[in-house]
Amino acid sequence: MRRYFDSLKIFWGTALAIQLEYQFNALVELIAMFGSLAGSIFVLSLFFSNGNQLGGWSWEAALTVQGIYTLFDGITNTFLRPNLGAIVNYVREGTLDYVLLKPVDSQFWLSVRTFSPTGLPEIFLGFFLMTWASFSAGANITVGLFFIVAFMLICGLIILYSIWFLIASTTIWFVKTWNATEVLRALLASGRFPVSVYPSSLRFIFTFILPVAFLTTVPAEVLLGNSPTSMISSSLLVAIIFFVLSRLFWLFALRHYTSASS
Amino acid sequence: MKLAGLSYQVARSLLSTQYAYMLEYRAEIALWALSGLLPFIMLSLWSNTQAGLDLGFKGFELSRYFLSAFLVRQFSVVWVVYAFEEDALLGRLSPYLLQPLHPLWRYAASHLAEQATRFPFALCIAGIFFVINPGAFWLPSLWILLLTWLATLMSFTISFLLQSLIAALCFWNEKASALERLLFVPYLFLSGLLAPISSFPPEVRKWSSLTPFPYLIDFPARVLSGLNVDVLGGFCIQILWICILLPLVIVLWRLGVRKYTAMGA
Amino acid sequence: MIFPDTVIDVDRLTKTYRVADKDPGLVGTFKHFLARKTCDICAVKEVSFSIKAGEMVGFLGANGAGKTTTLKMLCGLICPTSGYVKVAGFSPKSRQSEFLRQITLVMGQKQQLIWDLPPLDSLKLNAAVYGIGPRESRYRINELADMLEIGEELTRPVRKLSLGQRMKAELLASLLHRPSVLFLDEPTLGLDVNAQAKVRAFLSEYNRRTGATVLLTSHYMADITVLCPRVLLIDQGKIFHDGQLDALVESLSPNRQVRLELNQDVSPEAFEAYGELKDCENRVVRLLIPRHQLTEAVTKLLANFDVIDLEVNDQPIDELIGTIFRAGKVK
Repeated sequence: MRRYFDSLKIFWGTALAIQLEYQFNALVELIAMFGSLAGSIFVLSLFFSNGNQLGGWSWEAALTVQGIYTLFDGITNTFLRPNLGAIVNYVREGTLDYVLLKPVDSQFWLSVRTFSPTGLPEIFLGFFLMTWASFSAGANITVGLFFIVAFMLICGLIILYSIWFLIASTTIWFVKTWNATEVLRALLASGRFPVSVYPSSLRFIFTFILPVAFLTTVPAEVLLGNSPTSMISSSLLVAIIFFVLSRLFWLFALRHYTSASS
Repeated sequence: MKLAGLSYQVARSLLSTQYAYMLEYRAEIALWALSGLLPFIMLSLWSNTQAGLDLGFKGFELSRYFLSAFLVRQFSVVWVVYAFEEDALLGRLSPYLLQPLHPLWRYAASHLAEQATRFPFALCIAGIFFVINPGAFWLPSLWILLLTWLATLMSFTISFLLQSLIAALCFWNEKASALERLLFVPYLFLSGLLAPISSFPPEVRKWSSLTPFPYLIDFPARVLSGLNVDVLGGFCIQILWICILLPLVIVLWRLGVRKYTAMGA
Repeated sequence: MIFPDTVIDVDRLTKTYRVADKDPGLVGTFKHFLARKTCDICAVKEVSFSIKAGEMVGFLGANGAGKTTTLKMLCGLICPTSGYVKVAGFSPKSRQSEFLRQITLVMGQKQQLIWDLPPLDSLKLNAAVYGIGPRESRYRINELADMLEIGEELTRPVRKLSLGQRMKAELLASLLHRPSVLFLDEPTLGLDVNAQAKVRAFLSEYNRRTGATVLLTSHYMADITVLCPRVLLIDQGKIFHDGQLDALVESLSPNRQVRLELNQDVSPEAFEAYGELKDCENRVVRLLIPRHQLTEAVTKLLANFDVIDLEVNDQPIDELIGTIFRAGKVK
């Protein structure tokens, strides 16, 4: 276990060292982040023009969802995209061989090998927006509720990671379809808005098949006091299911890789 | 006749090899086509909210608008910066620069070939859309289709030139490719992909019309979906942007190549 | 029969691949699009051998002969279709942690070093992954760096290093955990003659110092002749020869080549009694003479002709191996 911890320290240390060579990119990322948050809020505001409501959500409540989405987007840019997006390169360049020959778990290696600090400000910004908007919406946030929501957000992260990893694993078979994750990203963008705004068919998909609802809407509802805290158990359940699924699928994919690769 | 190294024979062989190459990547391209689903998600939001009703679209006009936006986006996607970056990284750029053909033609050919490969997938997605949404079905006239094709081609050209400009900057500094991220932000929010430009507050609408972005998606999509639009004005502005960007790209590219070769590639 | 000091034991190892079959050109692409044709290719066919601890064995074969596939099966990256493999007492395909600590794989055409950073960072990473403490890893890095004759290169970004320097750093990274079994897939690929010689010298020194077992593939004959007393010759997935390199040469070419430069004009027929005449031109004669008759024949030649210069050598080994692969079999 200690070995894993030490590895992680070195992983992220080297990532930071690489990033420092690219300050210009960091600046661009920062501007792009503010721009895209402003754009998202602008599009959201279009739905509230003429004093309209968005499917029973007030402006502040919808902003809470937007904040949580930004938080996850930051985590995506910081951890998921640099790591899971690189899996295809490991496969294509054949360096997955080296990963498989290291005495550490390959899923661990591929999932946390690097991180991109340029996504960090977005995480903070998302967190800030979520907190500020939920206070403005008149939420009664106690310490207990705070921890419950934090836990649900962690569950959401596990769900997001697992789905992403699941899809990234398919590169073992189809090296060329690395952009499957782009399809996923497009669908995840639906999490910017409360799930109840969508037509019922999409609501079903976003709850049970691609559980975007558990990433943003459900935690926001609990935070705003519109949903019982017992939702935490369903979040946890979905997270466990998807994580186990991703793990099993990876082991299956590796069996295929080692019986076919060259 | 040759234009920056491009003759009929060169164009033909370039397009056919690129098409064969793209067919090899059809699975990937199908997924790219799928990854453009965003307009449909936005459609489900707009059609389900009061704000959507306030937009003043009648009947199925909103559905048609977003379907058109999806289709226009499919045929105006540009990835010159990425291709350029990869070529530079893998050392393919230097041999390209030695050939008597402007490298941008190569990229243009690969984009067009990709669009040809994408065509059936985009049609499939449109077909599925009509199955789910039979009332939205419409058959634009040949005239409209021709206009849309032209507007989309212009939109593609503008995006292509914008990205080529960034690619040319990479001759000075390879990190310039990050600028593409910056270009994408206003594109996403101001092009009409997420919301018709007519839903914008008047002030924003006025300012955005000074940028090329609304003419990349919103204008061709309006033409295709048969909405009320100033066709002539739209085309004029598209041509204007091309006239501004084209000389810039040519000059910057030439200076960039000179700089690049001076550095010893 | 497995001896206690057998490190690698392989019995009737087989690997078949299923590959897609596509005609070239647009028509072929369309056909392939509509109906994928596949066929099975046997990359490795019932290969058996065993290698003792401390041996250095060369794996010889043309491109696509099955060298890399075999190597990857030995380190657990490819599951065999059938057959038995044991490496350092482990079954490779389950890739247990204890097994992975015993082995290493170096591929000349792939790299594990982080491109943007100095090799030292990659080395630290490997040290952490293998659970080597900082003091111990510093000691090992110094030791290996001395042997490899690299120093300041370790603190320069990998992308700024020459191919030879990069390969040395790769080797360092691959050997930090002191593996006892080394699999090297074309470790000298693309290096200049000088750098090749250095890598070779290092490998032989490493083997001498640590007693590690080495299995190496290479296109460069010199790698094999210098490093490996024993070679496995593989062609079309089958092993054709397993044994001493000298014995292979002996069996392939029982003759030595004698080149004479004369001070007189002689008709070619005069040499036929001494051996097989290869050519005779401008007073230069090339003869193939069986090894066991060599001394006798040369003595006679010197006595009977006015010889200015005499040269005896083996037929070059690359040429020999080339002949075998072209012929498709070994006697």
